[in-house]
Amino acid sequence: MRNKKGTDKILAIYWFVVLTIVAGGIFAMVYVFYGNPYDVRGVESEVLAERIADCISRQGTINSDFFAGGDFNQDIKNTFSERCNFNFNVEEGYRETMQYFYRVEIYSIDNLATPVFNFYDGNINWESECYIKKDNNKEYARLAKCTEKRFYAVGEGNKQYLIKILSVIGKSEKNVKQ
Amino acid sequence: MEKRGTVLVENVIFIILNLLFLSILVLFLVKQGSGAIVLEQAYSKQISILIDSAKPPMEIQLDMEKGMKVAKSRRVDFGSAVKINGNQVTVKLGDGTGYTYSFFNDVSVTSSAIKDEKGEYTGMYDFRIKSKAGVR
Repeated sequence: MRNKKGTDKILAIYWFVVLTIVAGGIFAMVYVFYGNPYDVRGVESEVLAERIADCISRQGTINSDFFAGGDFNQDIKNTFSERCNFNFNVEEGYRETMQYFYRVEIYSIDNLATPVFNFYDGNINWESECYIKKDNNKEYARLAKCTEKRFYAVGEGNKQYLIKILSVIGKSEKNVKQ
Repeated sequence: MEKRGTVLVENVIFIILNLLFLSILVLFLVKQGSGAIVLEQAYSKQISILIDSAKPPMEIQLDMEKGMKVAKSRRVDFGSAVKINGNQVTVKLGDGTGYTYSFFNDVSVTSSAIKDEKGEYTGMYDFRIKSKAGVR
């Protein structure tokens, strides 16, 4: 009987040790899961790319504002963000660095090597982070999130163009655990 | 007979302790997922993305029932839980400073909590997106 009692006690202690380990594991997992902020930069960069595409062309035709005197309107380079209603101001906590970037390249269908018209806005330093990801084929959490979008549209005189959009969102401070 | 009774009591205590342990664990998990800090962040980011995707004039209604319950438990007015200042959304469901996130769509947004016929909050929030005056 004594042996039986002793075995029971050891089993009870063992059982509570197991429970403590399981509880500790669950607490740790929950802490890690909820301790990480929600990363919405991927969705944000996709939305930004969509908005840029909508501003450039509607129903497959490039906006007439893009052309002036038979060529591309150079004013677009400075006024596109304003025309497209973009406000790249951010809240406190980003060390006063702009957290957005986009680049638009328009290629003539005859020559897909050199863009006939291109412009960008935002913090150009983010752009290189898109290529780091591609080169290493690895996604580093703290790097900016990028979205590439390309589509065809017709311009003046039904000339066909390929439009490439690159949109980038920084904001790692609020989307990745530091 | 006495021995059998002891075994039963031990087993009952053991089962009760196990149930207590599991209950605390489940309570902890539920509380973590619906805490004010987690919800503030989730809602402010969700609202920012909704506004970014919106085109004026547009009206969006967002279900924030969980947030309403948290705000109520912390005695925070749900009607002032969401504030939009310029291009920044701040959601405050507790005593802290809330959580702020920015959106890039340069539009004018007004937000208000929807009430029912009795004047009580339904848990839905209404966002009206309009063009800013003078902006194309």
